[in-house]
Amino acid sequence: MSPFSPIADDGDELRFCSTCAFSAACIEQGYDKSRLGELHVLVAHTGPYAEGQHIFREGDSFDAIAAVRAGTVKTYVTDSEGREQVQGFFLPGEVIGLNAISSERYPCNAVALDPVMLCRFSFPDIAALATRMPGLQQQLFRLLSQDIGKAALLAGNFTADERLAAFLVSLSRRYAARGFSRTRFRLTMTRTDIANYLRLASESVSRGFSRLQHAGLVGVDRRELELRDLPGLEAMASNILRG
Amino acid sequence: MSTNITFDAELLQRYDQPGPRYTSYPTAPAFVAGFGAAQLRDQARRTNQEPIPRALSIYVHVPFCFSPCFYCGCNRIITRDTSRSAPYLQRLAREIELIAPWFDRDREVVQVHLGGGTPNFLRPEQIFDLMESLHSHFHLTTSAKRDFSIELDPRFLNTGDIASYAALGFSRASFGVQDFDPVVQRAVNRVQSVEQTLAAISACRDSGFRSVNVDLIYGLPKQNLEGFGRTIDTVTQARPDRIAIYGYAHMPQIFKAQTQIDEAELPDPGGKLALLQLAIDRLTAAGYRHIGMDHFALADDDLSLAQDAGTLHRNFMGYTTHADCDLIGLGVSAISHIGDSFSQNPRELPAWEIAVDQGQPPVWRGLELSFDDRVRADVIQQLMCNAAVDVTAIERRHDIDFWNYFATGLTRLEQLADDGLVELGPRRVAATSRGRLLLRIIAMCFDNYLQSNTPAARPRYSRVI
Repeated sequence: MSPFSPIADDGDELRFCSTCAFSAACIEQGYDKSRLGELHVLVAHTGPYAEGQHIFREGDSFDAIAAVRAGTVKTYVTDSEGREQVQGFFLPGEVIGLNAISSERYPCNAVALDPVMLCRFSFPDIAALATRMPGLQQQLFRLLSQDIGKAALLAGNFTADERLAAFLVSLSRRYAARGFSRTRFRLTMTRTDIANYLRLASESVSRGFSRLQHAGLVGVDRRELELRDLPGLEAMASNILRG
Repeated sequence: MSTNITFDAELLQRYDQPGPRYTSYPTAPAFVAGFGAAQLRDQARRTNQEPIPRALSIYVHVPFCFSPCFYCGCNRIITRDTSRSAPYLQRLAREIELIAPWFDRDREVVQVHLGGGTPNFLRPEQIFDLMESLHSHFHLTTSAKRDFSIELDPRFLNTGDIASYAALGFSRASFGVQDFDPVVQRAVNRVQSVEQTLAAISACRDSGFRSVNVDLIYGLPKQNLEGFGRTIDTVTQARPDRIAIYGYAHMPQIFKAQTQIDEAELPDPGGKLALLQLAIDRLTAAGYRHIGMDHFALADDDLSLAQDAGTLHRNFMGYTTHADCDLIGLGVSAISHIGDSFSQNPRELPAWEIAVDQGQPPVWRGLELSFDDRVRADVIQQLMCNAAVDVTAIERRHDIDFWNYFATGLTRLEQLADDGLVELGPRRVAATSRGRLLLRIIAMCFDNYLQSNTPAARPRYSRVI
C-alpha cells in the first residue's frame, strides 16, 4: 500500500466517515448519524471492489448513489464502434451514480481502478429525506452541478499541456478538499485512461508530463506525483478552470 | 578519502562473513517460483500505464565461453563448438518476439548490454542479426542517450571485429583482465597477454568507442601485492574510463569450476583487504574516483558525473547511469527488473530452451516488491551509490519515520559505529573511509531477509571481504 493512497478515516455507528459526502449537510441540519439510523436511511458500506471490478454497468437498474470511501472509480461508456470513452474519475468523498437520477438505469459503467470501498445510499430513501432536510437537498444539487461542471473541463480548444495542468489542479483541489495532500498523491488512473479522458494520445500525455517535469512544475516517479509548482500549474490551467 | 588500513584481526574475523553484493534488493535467493510469466506481463502492462513510462534497458546473456576461468561464478557453458550459437540466437529472437509486445512502442530502448559468458563467442554477423531482431521489435533510440555496451574477451577477439561492433552502435566495451601476473593467470586458467589486451583497448578507441572498462579481481590464488600492483599500473597507463575490481568469491560448493582452485593458495582476509587497499590507493593516485563497492571511474566519465548529480544507480550490470529504466533480461539466467518486480529466466539452458520452444516467455522465478522491500531497496541503493543515506530524503519519499522504521537494525548499526565503519547522525548515515570497503556489511543492517538467518545459514552468499 502506498503511503500516499488516500484512505478515509472510517466512521462508526455514531461518527460519519471523514470523507462522507453528506455529513456536513446532515450535521448542519441537526441530524447526527444515530438520528439518520432512526430514520432508516439505508447507508451500507460495500466493497472492497478489486481493481478492474465493475460496480455497476450501463443499463443496470438504478437504485442507489454511492460515495467513494477509498480508491478511485472510473466511469465510462462504450461508443457504437466499441471504443471506450472515459467520463470521469471519482476520488474519496465523491459520489457516483448522480447522472442516473433522471432515469431508472445507470447511463454509464463504473469500474474500480484500485481497491475501492463505497458507501451506498438508497436513492429513494435519501431523496425522501432531502424533502425534509433543505440542507441535504442543497448538497445533492451541489453535487449534481459539480458533476456537470467536470464535463465542461474538457470541452473547448485547449493545448495538451493546458488540459494536463487543469487535470492535475483539479485532482489537487479535490484531494485537498477531503483533507489529503494537495501536492503529493498517487495517480491511480492509467496513462491510457488519462489520455482518453483528456482526448489526447497516450504518447501526448507522457510528453506532456515530461514537459511539465522538465519545467519544474511536477515530479513524477512511476505513479507517484508531486506538484512542485502549484501556482504555476494553476496559471497554465487558468483558461480551462477559470478560477 | 583516507587510504589507511586500520582493521585489526579481530574486526576482520568478525566482519568477514557471507553477504549479498546487493546488485538487487531483495536479492535473487528471495525470488519465488510463484512469480512467472503472467505476473511479469502484468508488471510490464502496469509500467506502460505510468504517466511517463520509463525508457527500457535490455540485457542479453550470451552463456558460451571457449575456456573455463576457474574463478568464474557467472552462468556459462564451456564449449569450443561455435555451432552452438546459431540455435541459441534463434531462441533469443523468439524470446524477443514473445516479450517485446508487452511494452508500448513509444518506450525507447536507451541501453543494450551484451554480457556473458563471452559475447564475442558470437561472430559479428550473428551480433548483427541479434541487433536486427531487437530493432524490429523494440524502438532502439538513436538519440545521444544511446548506450550500447559489450563484454569482450581479448583472448578470442579479432580486433578487426571491433569496428563492426561500433557500426552496430556499440560504444562501450568491457574487458576482463583480472591479473596480468603470469603465475596468477596459470592458477586461474586464464592466460592473457598485456599486448593483446592493450591492442583490444586501442582498437576500441580507434573505432570511436566512447568508453572502455577493465575488470580486475583481487583475492585470486597466488596473488600478491607486487604482481597485482604491476597489473594496476599497466592498466591505469592504458587509461580505461572505468575499472572494476571485484573480490573473488570462493564458493566451490556452488560454482564447480572453483573446485580447481587450491584453497591453500588463496590470500587470507587480511591479505585480500591489503590487495583491495593497494588497488584503491594506486587507482586514486592515478586519477580514478572510487565510485563505490568495486567500481572506479575517471572524473569525466558518465559514472562520476552521475554520482555528482545523485543519479547513480546499481543493478545487475554493476553501476549505471540508467536509474530510470525498466530492465529486460533476455537469454538463459538473465534477470529483469520491471516495475515493482524482479524476475529471472531459468539458469539451466535446457529449461530456458524448452520454455521458448513452447512459445512460453521463459520466466523461472521472481518477486513483486512490497512497500517494505521498496523502502529498504532505496536505502541500500543510497548506500551502494553514495556510501551514505540521506535520512530526510528517505522519510520524504516513503512517508516513514526513518529511525522508528529501522529500529531493529539500529543495534547492529551502533555496533558498526563503535567499530568505526559508519557515522550515525540524526539525519544521515554515512560510511567512514574504512566502512566504504564494507558497504555490504552496512547494507545488511537494512536487509529484512537476513534477519532470521545466522551467517552460517547464508552459504549462497560470498564472504564480504
